[in-house]
Amino acid sequence: MPRNVPCDFPPGYDGTAILQRLERVLDPELDESILHLGFVGALTVRAGHADVALRLPTDWCAVNFAYLMAEDVRHALLTVAGIRRVTVRLGDHCAAAEIETAVNDGRNFADAFAGEGAGSLAALRLTFQRKGFFGRQERLLRELRAAGHSPETICALRLGDASAENGTVVIRRPGGTPVESGPAAVLRRYLERRAELGLDCAGTAPLIVDLDGEPLSAERLEAYYETVRTVRVAMEANGSFCRALLSLRHANAAAPP
Amino acid sequence: MYRQDGHDLFVIDGHMHFWDANPENWRTKYGESWIKCFYAFHSSLSPAEEVWPFEKFCRYGEAVLVDDLFRNGYVDMGILNSTYLYEFYKNGFNSHSQNNVIKTKYPDRFLLCGSFDPRDEAAGIDAFRGMMADYPINGLKLYTAEWKDGSRGWRLNDPWAYKYLALAQELGIKNIHVHKGPTVYPLSADAFDVHDVDYAATDFPELNFIVEHVGLPRLDDFCWIAAQESNVYAGLSVAMAFVHLRPRYFGEIIANLLFWLGPDKLCFGSDYAIWSPKWLIEKFMAYELPDDLKQEYHVDLTLDVKRKILGENMARLYGIDVAAQAAILGRDGIGAKLAG
Repeated sequence: MPRNVPCDFPPGYDGTAILQRLERVLDPELDESILHLGFVGALTVRAGHADVALRLPTDWCAVNFAYLMAEDVRHALLTVAGIRRVTVRLGDHCAAAEIETAVNDGRNFADAFAGEGAGSLAALRLTFQRKGFFGRQERLLRELRAAGHSPETICALRLGDASAENGTVVIRRPGGTPVESGPAAVLRRYLERRAELGLDCAGTAPLIVDLDGEPLSAERLEAYYETVRTVRVAMEANGSFCRALLSLRHANAAAPP
Repeated sequence: MYRQDGHDLFVIDGHMHFWDANPENWRTKYGESWIKCFYAFHSSLSPAEEVWPFEKFCRYGEAVLVDDLFRNGYVDMGILNSTYLYEFYKNGFNSHSQNNVIKTKYPDRFLLCGSFDPRDEAAGIDAFRGMMADYPINGLKLYTAEWKDGSRGWRLNDPWAYKYLALAQELGIKNIHVHKGPTVYPLSADAFDVHDVDYAATDFPELNFIVEHVGLPRLDDFCWIAAQESNVYAGLSVAMAFVHLRPRYFGEIIANLLFWLGPDKLCFGSDYAIWSPKWLIEKFMAYELPDDLKQEYHVDLTLDVKRKILGENMARLYGIDVAAQAAILGRDGIGAKLAG
């Protein structure tokens, strides 16, 4: 469970569920948990009302992405038992007032920012879910390659051949010896996104598929890997900016006036 | 000129600014937001000892620029990436006429970019011809995310953009710098989408398109386009800054660019005054691509490749003979003093 989130709960309140739900809210561009990124400044629960103060890296973080995260926080926390109302706050963000009003009223982005050419957030969300799929799959492919699996083996693997044991991915093929193949979290993150995108996650399905759910041939695997590798590096660019800007904000906040 | 092990590397800073962001020049609150956003990039990605006070960052002036680029920063020539932003700044942020003041004083040191805005349509054609006639314009800098009269941006493949590109080509322009980079508040992220470059590069094969900031964070989209289009180049400013704070990540970006584009299409830029060429170039020259990246991508960042990136590639785009130009610069006021 992430640390460093100042929580204010009623006496005896078990905050595990609410923090777990919050942890699953991602920055869509970075494909990382907003809790782990340090974007949650404070969390208060009072009489079924959750109040979340977000703290984005800058006051001028893109409005559409800020809106997405605020909306996701609200939806996530409304699924927690006992939470009936959610208020999301954005602090000093340039569009804080507009976003807070709309999100806390349950309105959608296109209505709240009509005239800004804002468009639908659903398309944006899907674009980044798909990029995130590639990013997560690249990490899994990297582990499989590093563990010595040949392209032919990688393409022949079924989902049921991979399991998580003691925090490690173990690949078991019929008649073969088990091969440890990287951290279990890499496999888990890949499968979570694969399921979110509606791709077949049955044990008999191929472990490595493209965005259409199609398996890859060993001949195609290298070119495919070169492509998803670049997608992963591109996604890390904004993460690098965000972390640098966030650490600056924290440093400034810590400095005496 | 950067000297290493007896080798001289001619340096062209492909992306630098001579801006005026003094509070007196702010037209709206966005003038302030804009420069504060730049300052956040400056403060968070520069080495601590290179961070300027905010006041200096707003308006550093000519003498500081000349020192930072040419006297201390190894730069031989700089490309003034004119940026207008008249909705945010009364006199513009660094228009070609503002930039021409410094270009006039050091004509051999600078290449001056002009611009057009296709949303001016027919009414802007005369002004564009006038700019081309009245100023020593070497290239164009296009800013597709600029606000204008309620519009939040435009695309390179808009019909009027094509008319201006055709006219620019007719008037002798060869190089088009296009800003495609991180979202700068208050601009819209979508206006930095890189796909319009693909259309324009295909339809104007005689023009070169230098994509400033390599489309970051849309590096993947940029790579697919640049690998396909022979006239699309990578402007490395912003990406360069990672060499300090995130050297491993910098290596991954460079490895990807070398993998998809090869060493002849990458061009150095500092984005001065967001970052200063002196430390960027020193850290870049000291940087070696990690062995695992060399092996994985089958590329290397050798001295030859660094020489191409720092100046030779851009010199080729602008038809500059490096040896002849170095001789000319050795005799100007700055060069003579450096030599003495």
